[in-house]
Amino acid sequence: MRERELIGLLVIAGGFLLITPVLSVNRVTDFMIFCIFAMSFDLLYGYMGRLSFGHLLFLGTGAYCSGLFLKYISRNPILAIIVGILVAGLLGMLIGLIIVRTTGACFALINLAVNHIGFFLVLSPLRKITNGEDGFGIHSLPFGFLNFSSRTTMYWFVLICLVLVFYFLKRVTSSPFGILIRSIKEDETRVKFLGYNTFLYKWVTFVLAGSVAGLAGTLTALNYNYVNPNVMDVHGNVGAVFACLIGGAGSLYGAIVGGVSYMVISNYLPIYIQRWEMFLGIALLMIIFRFQKGIWGYFQGVWEYVERKKTVMKAMGVGAVKR
Amino acid sequence: MIHTIVYGFTIGAILYFITIGLSLTFGMMRVINFAHTLTYTIGVYMLVSLGALFKGYFVIAAMIAVVVVIPISYLIERFIIRRLYGESLDHTFIATFAIALIGVDTIKWIWGVRPYPLSDPIGEYLMIWGLTLPIYRIVIVMIAILLFIGLELFFRKSIVGKIVVAALEDKDGVGCLGIDVDHYFSIVFMMGSALAALGGVLYAPISSVHPYMGLSILLLCFAVVIVGGMGNLRGTFVSALALGMVMAVTARYWSQGAETMVFIVMAIVLIFRPIDI
Repeated sequence: MRERELIGLLVIAGGFLLITPVLSVNRVTDFMIFCIFAMSFDLLYGYMGRLSFGHLLFLGTGAYCSGLFLKYISRNPILAIIVGILVAGLLGMLIGLIIVRTTGACFALINLAVNHIGFFLVLSPLRKITNGEDGFGIHSLPFGFLNFSSRTTMYWFVLICLVLVFYFLKRVTSSPFGILIRSIKEDETRVKFLGYNTFLYKWVTFVLAGSVAGLAGTLTALNYNYVNPNVMDVHGNVGAVFACLIGGAGSLYGAIVGGVSYMVISNYLPIYIQRWEMFLGIALLMIIFRFQKGIWGYFQGVWEYVERKKTVMKAMGVGAVKR
Repeated sequence: MIHTIVYGFTIGAILYFITIGLSLTFGMMRVINFAHTLTYTIGVYMLVSLGALFKGYFVIAAMIAVVVVIPISYLIERFIIRRLYGESLDHTFIATFAIALIGVDTIKWIWGVRPYPLSDPIGEYLMIWGLTLPIYRIVIVMIAILLFIGLELFFRKSIVGKIVVAALEDKDGVGCLGIDVDHYFSIVFMMGSALAALGGVLYAPISSVHPYMGLSILLLCFAVVIVGGMGNLRGTFVSALALGMVMAVTARYWSQGAETMVFIVMAIVLIFRPIDI
């Protein structure tokens, strides 16, 4: 298992390094940040089975908190990242107390409402410090050898963050805790009946997903050196859901594949096809009606089929020899 | 203050038109239809084109625009929504959202992204007790009240309405009586879409026309459905007017907070009375 995890990490890092010369450093940094966000969304949606229409709230919280920290308190980027993650996690703890009690459409819509309220807060009542819809620029000092205004440093830093987050979430989801949240997705009543406090597990997952999304937010802020309310626009949530479904929900590899695919579609398709939204819509309908498990799920299915065939062949071959 | 109340009723009436179809789809078939307000946008754009054709005859143009939406909504129902019954929430969400994307892009293709200006078709003001009120807004509220009474009669007296109400209670039970529920559902779906188009046609002259107008009002419609109760027709009427009033009153004192207040109300309702879907 250990070896497989290491190979997985290397494959992901290698994959991103491979696509860098084809695309560009800036674009791939964007992609990786989005992948971190997609993974945190997948923890909530793919693993725990709770669809949220308001996950960008945490990304926005992370971005705004680290941005405001850099602007008003200190120019230390590492501290800003930590502050962003902590505040996003704290927000998750607070609203999670109410939100995780609900399921299905109710969960999705409460999240949407809270996201909208957050968006409105930074837009209007907090205008004095957040500068409303214009947003504000931030400036961070280098921390040791980490100079975040350099594109390559940012690139490597985000890559390392992505790999670490992937490793962390992989451990979480394959631990007994992860198995439990997956069983909550399947049937919460039975898990409750086994004597587990499902509320606590759901709450912890919600907070974890929120903190990771907060990390993605701080990276967004540092990457652009600029924060504006668009980072938590309610309509942007659709992207994360699309990414998870394109890649295949319920698998971290799927989240990364889906995140990259979605970003490629939304970034490059408009250059070549003017009607890219129509293309995306048709692709999504295809996914829903034909490949419900997404790209990664499809390959996994093929892989399993081949493996089964192999074992069957082997068994038959052995049988033939015995005969 | 009277102005605020009239404005609130107008917005509430518009929300009511748009939300009926959404609420019925929600309650009857458990499908969250993100493509619902697509028909609303199509209706408005039809009005834009037809309004240029029938200069000065707003009523005729509006009627044709509403009628044109019906076959389009039939196609959507027949080929997409019908395949989603019984699917999980996320799949219906993605599929209907995909339809909305395709529809919005088609609209951009045909009419372009440029916003169209439409003017108030009546343009006269009513003067009572020293107040000036646009007649158009009063007409909208009147139509909403008439529609409410009409729908109430429809669902109580007509056989189609009775079947729909019964199906809202217990879909399987109605199916056991040998009634093809899906067939009636498709009628209800077309009706809801036509009403959404009517809402759009009435609202367009007092708001702006752009391809994404459907998506921006959709979230408000969800709030109305949640507050009023899924598939609850009277609840939808009351909650639409109440939320319209909330928007108008908030906008009077704090103009940016209007939409957010609606979502706060929705969150509170969801916390104290969760829906299970």
